[in-house]
Amino acid sequence: MAGPVLELRNLTKQVPVGGQEPFVIFNNVNLSVKEGEFVSIVGPSGCGKTTLLRVVNGLMPPSSGQIFLDGKELTGADNDLVMGFVFQGASLLPWRTSLKNVLLGLEGRKSAKEAEEAARHYLNLVGLSGFENHYPHQLSGGMQQRINLARALAVNPRILLMDEPFAALDAQTRTFMQLELLRIWWQTKKTVIFITHMISEAILLSDRVIVFSHRPGRVRSEFPVPLARPRSLDIKSDHRFVELENVVWKQIEEEVKAAGGFARL
Amino acid sequence: MQASYKNIAWTMLKPISIFSGLVLWHALATHVVNDATLLVSPLVVIAKAYEMLFVTADLYPHLYASSWIFLQGMVLATVVGVPIGFLMALSPAVRDYVNPWMTALYTTPRIAFAPVILLWLGIDLAAKVIIVFLGCVFPILINSFYGMRVVSREFVEVGRSFRLSRGSLFMKILLPASVPFILAGLRLAVGRGLTGVAIAEWFGATEGLGYLIFFAGQTLNLPILFVGVAVFAILGILGFQLLRVIEDLASPWRKELLVK
Repeated sequence: MAGPVLELRNLTKQVPVGGQEPFVIFNNVNLSVKEGEFVSIVGPSGCGKTTLLRVVNGLMPPSSGQIFLDGKELTGADNDLVMGFVFQGASLLPWRTSLKNVLLGLEGRKSAKEAEEAARHYLNLVGLSGFENHYPHQLSGGMQQRINLARALAVNPRILLMDEPFAALDAQTRTFMQLELLRIWWQTKKTVIFITHMISEAILLSDRVIVFSHRPGRVRSEFPVPLARPRSLDIKSDHRFVELENVVWKQIEEEVKAAGGFARL
Repeated sequence: MQASYKNIAWTMLKPISIFSGLVLWHALATHVVNDATLLVSPLVVIAKAYEMLFVTADLYPHLYASSWIFLQGMVLATVVGVPIGFLMALSPAVRDYVNPWMTALYTTPRIAFAPVILLWLGIDLAAKVIIVFLGCVFPILINSFYGMRVVSREFVEVGRSFRLSRGSLFMKILLPASVPFILAGLRLAVGRGLTGVAIAEWFGATEGLGYLIFFAGQTLNLPILFVGVAVFAILGILGFQLLRVIEDLASPWRKELLVK
């Protein structure tokens, strides 16, 4: 059995505040993610889960602790494209067509022909063949997030980091996108870390749900999701789903209370 | 049906506006002022313009002279302004070094520089181009600077998360995001550049539209004066239209985003 794809050891992020104690965003996070595992992180608003993902992706350095990918420690100097990042909002480049957006991570890393083949393949995978030449503003929010996903998948990353990718979508579109992500994950079997504040979304999609504490964030608890794949929306009425949702909700409620109540969110 | 009537009304609005303005001008000139040394009818101006364009053809040297210094000044301002603006956005050191001079030069009325520049460089082409350049360079520089500074942090992070090299980050993210701002700067520069042309040609030139207007004003030749002013206006409009074409070519993605 191979080691974990990603391992976080005592990862901490704090930002200095002039003249005072530094502001600790998350503290001593330990997490290990196996090959092909879909892990969700849920937690109260402001618990540092998004910052954690950004630190893992190297967009900001950790204050202390280590990040290992396939057993090799990642340092700031590392410039290999090993992670795909799916951003929350409008992160598609408005001056690039769908195809060109998906090509962003491929240009210069593959021959033009291979890159375009890969980009078309992933556009097809997310169901947007025929929209190659559309600009982002010509597409709906759901379609934009499909392209966002295709762009991250196209570089064939070792791990896919998803930062609340469906947060800006309306409830119906969001549900459809969850089902689409289930399908796409089933076809690609990528290792995924998925950030969300929506518990049902985390359970529906994941093999394991991590609950973050309030700030400074740390891993409070984790739950394997005992539901077989491939999944459909039907599992939402499965008693194990409902029970897990309740347990996780109780914990988040406790965290919010400990943070000073929901009025402070 | 109703919508198409509305469309026709909208497309007619511009010609109606121009026409009614000219009618008002004509009425004012022939019935209110009624003094050819103060105001002449647009019909007189049009007749004069026709004569200068197609009969005597003596407008062309002035038009060429003015267009040429305008074009050179604009191009020089773009070539200098855009890179300096970018450098200021990307390097705090450059920004702090250039800023005091930029602010001082930008806020000083350019007309104050004109005599000095003409004194140093004479009344030849170089001096005039420099005066136009001084007018154009700051809006271009400032817009390039802000354009690059306000590039959405999210776009920069997208570039970084895809591990773009510094060069790629500039070419694929920062530069395309700045293009609309640079073009807005160029558009501002058109007006200021034409003012620069007029100023430069007022000070001891022997040809050009500015000279023509100055000369016509001195000799109370109102038809020629108005022809000169009108040609300046047309040059400005042409400059804007040209920039619009460039904008559509440079950023086709924006076309549909603009508020009509």
